Amino acid sequence: MPIVCALVPSYKVEIARHFEPRLRARPLIVADRLERGHVIAVDDKAFLRGARTGMTLVQAGACVPRAAVAVDDPGRNRALWERILDALDAASPLVEDAAEGTALLEMRGIPGSHERWLTSVRTALASDGAFAGLTFALALAENKFVARTAARVRDGSIVRPGEERAFLAPLSLYALDLDERVVERLRLLGIKTLGELASLPHGPFVRRFGPPSARWHAYAGGVDDEPVIPRPRRLVIDGALYGEGTAEREEQLLFALRSLVARVAGDVASAGKRCGFLRLRIECEDGERLELPTLLAQATSQAGTMFDLLRAKLEGITLRSPVVGLLLGAERLEEGGTEFSLFAGNDPDPDVVAIALARLEAALGPRHALRATIVPGHRYETRVAYEPFSTQSLASPHVRPAPPAPKDDATLVYRMLERRAVEVLLAHGVPAAVEGRTVVDVAGPWRIDEGWWSEALDGVAAAHASDAYDVLLQDGALYRIVCERKRWWLVGAFD
Amino acid sequence: MLSRVPDLSPERRRETLADLRASLSAGHPGATPEAFTPASERLVRSGLSELDNALGGGFPRGVIVTLEGPQGSGRSSVLGRLLATATAGGGLAALIEAPAGPDGALYPPSLAAAGVDLARLLVVPVCDTPGVARAVDVVLRAAAFGVIAIPAVALPATAWTRLAGLTHRTGALLIALGETASDELRYFASVRVRLQPQRVRWAGGSGPFCALAESDVTATILKHKRAAPGKIARIACTTFECAGPPLVALRERVLDAPSMQRFVRRTVVAV
Repeated sequence: MPIVCALVPSYKVEIARHFEPRLRARPLIVADRLERGHVIAVDDKAFLRGARTGMTLVQAGACVPRAAVAVDDPGRNRALWERILDALDAASPLVEDAAEGTALLEMRGIPGSHERWLTSVRTALASDGAFAGLTFALALAENKFVARTAARVRDGSIVRPGEERAFLAPLSLYALDLDERVVERLRLLGIKTLGELASLPHGPFVRRFGPPSARWHAYAGGVDDEPVIPRPRRLVIDGALYGEGTAEREEQLLFALRSLVARVAGDVASAGKRCGFLRLRIECEDGERLELPTLLAQATSQAGTMFDLLRAKLEGITLRSPVVGLLLGAERLEEGGTEFSLFAGNDPDPDVVAIALARLEAALGPRHALRATIVPGHRYETRVAYEPFSTQSLASPHVRPAPPAPKDDATLVYRMLERRAVEVLLAHGVPAAVEGRTVVDVAGPWRIDEGWWSEALDGVAAAHASDAYDVLLQDGALYRIVCERKRWWLVGAFD
Repeated sequence: MLSRVPDLSPERRRETLADLRASLSAGHPGATPEAFTPASERLVRSGLSELDNALGGGFPRGVIVTLEGPQGSGRSSVLGRLLATATAGGGLAALIEAPAGPDGALYPPSLAAAGVDLARLLVVPVCDTPGVARAVDVVLRAAAFGVIAIPAVALPATAWTRLAGLTHRTGALLIALGETASDELRYFASVRVRLQPQRVRWAGGSGPFCALAESDVTATILKHKRAAPGKIARIACTTFECAGPPLVALRERVLDAPSMQRFVRRTVVAV
């Protein structure tokens, strides 16, 4: 079973450099985030200087002072990898997404020789300019492990049937992706290469190292029976309405949309699926095309729910000319019917909430239905993040936490005011008046000096130094003011 | 009829009400069961006993409520308790706010400290008055949010008529926060509460070793369509930043005295 492995070595490093070519000049460290981040990938130069995956950014920065730091963007990486997999579909009908940066293609039944198969995969990868410049290593072998290892060893490697054991024999144990402690144990036994590992008797070796070692032994001998697992195809059920006149008024459009939604929802239900995403395309007489992507709160095959959501989306849209065609696609299809919870109780109906969210988006625009989350940070304004409100987490947990014990006092709530410069009069170094209002009590300063290391690490100036004070004014207002570079700012109020 | 039976147990009372509902719906198809629902089910309790007592049990559902007062008067603290009540039972609450407005945006960590389940709080940032009207209309129509907070913006009477109708129909509690309420809002609000700061207590010594401990405020019921107005409640608001035991207040500043400069120093006031 000939298998081609298409590998992007150090995928995260390559992707970071692909999107920011200026990073090629220096050693590169890829971190999960800048603030208190950890290293998730390093390039060869940074590795040679001692930087390792799992280190904190400060530790890695100490090892490689001149290294550039890139923050990983999983969404961007995934999108590009999906595009690469789509391109590989042209070379083989069976493409396995082994990991980000590693794809395996089964070439059985495809006419041609080993060299031609490699060429066809290379041609498929060259067809899309979006990933031009990325370095791909290709290799061909009779099973997945050998193909992957050959791609790591050298681009263009071909391991013919029967040559697997000889090919793997001189390679280091690291080819098996073993834990460092296991490698050390094997070394103590005098085993340093895959060939030496393969020559050990299977039974005693597995008894000593446990069940997972059976696979290591097989791999070292060039045996891997696991078949190529094709990646799931994206199934879309769609329906269109064209050539039935034009819709000039809203009622006509909604009538047409209702019948189209009923048809598509019927098809989804007939296929035994539920859809989680709708894509409506509206075509107008003057050639204008409008696409409305709509995320469903929970996957459904109910026509009524789908129609309500699309109608809510349409509420915020004005079309210049009559509508001549509608195309509706149901995507993100899942198996099964509508899911009901036995423990729902008085939980809000996710469909109703989703329609309200769609209406808010239609009325106010995107990013107007949010949920606040608390994130680590030193300053008040950096401890808050907002994300789109979703209905995924609305279902009650099966065991509700006990309600907090009743208190007879309220909690003083802080308000983040729009930051504005204020005039502050000082007496003995502390605020005595804010905008002409007398300060009757003051607490502080609380000094924050952070981010000064960012410039040294990645060249981004993110230094922040401020002194914060809580002041009580004569009229009862409780404000938080900060002093930054001898300028005073009003940033919040306790209310 | 029920008042004539003073020793009616809660179970018996519920059974009697159920019988009444059944007989009325049989005899009078137009009669609504809501008319016989015990009043406590139509209230949102803040959990602040003095305020709830002053309001006759809590804030009634299905009405517009105003929380009026200057910054520092504790209106957001009362709102925090109501949002916590709404989200504690698995319900949803909505916070429509204008971050660029004079009152800014509520700070989520302080809401979380007040007991609000942030996962169940919809935050809708808007930039102008029509945006507030549009957002609250959409949120009310969903009928899925128990408590909805908005800034006390000046909307025309027609808008308040619509919002009051929607609030009544959905049984939500619509709370308008602001320094003052417009004439239209005052008219359409069923409950108006005026908050005023009274005293502020500080813990620790001075400078960076001093911290805000708590603030005492008074809430005056200016208007109540279903109970007697004019009552006053005292509310203590403690700081949200104290992770351990409550801060011990060492000194306090009284704000209700004629002279604001009066400074009272006490040894220890237990919180």
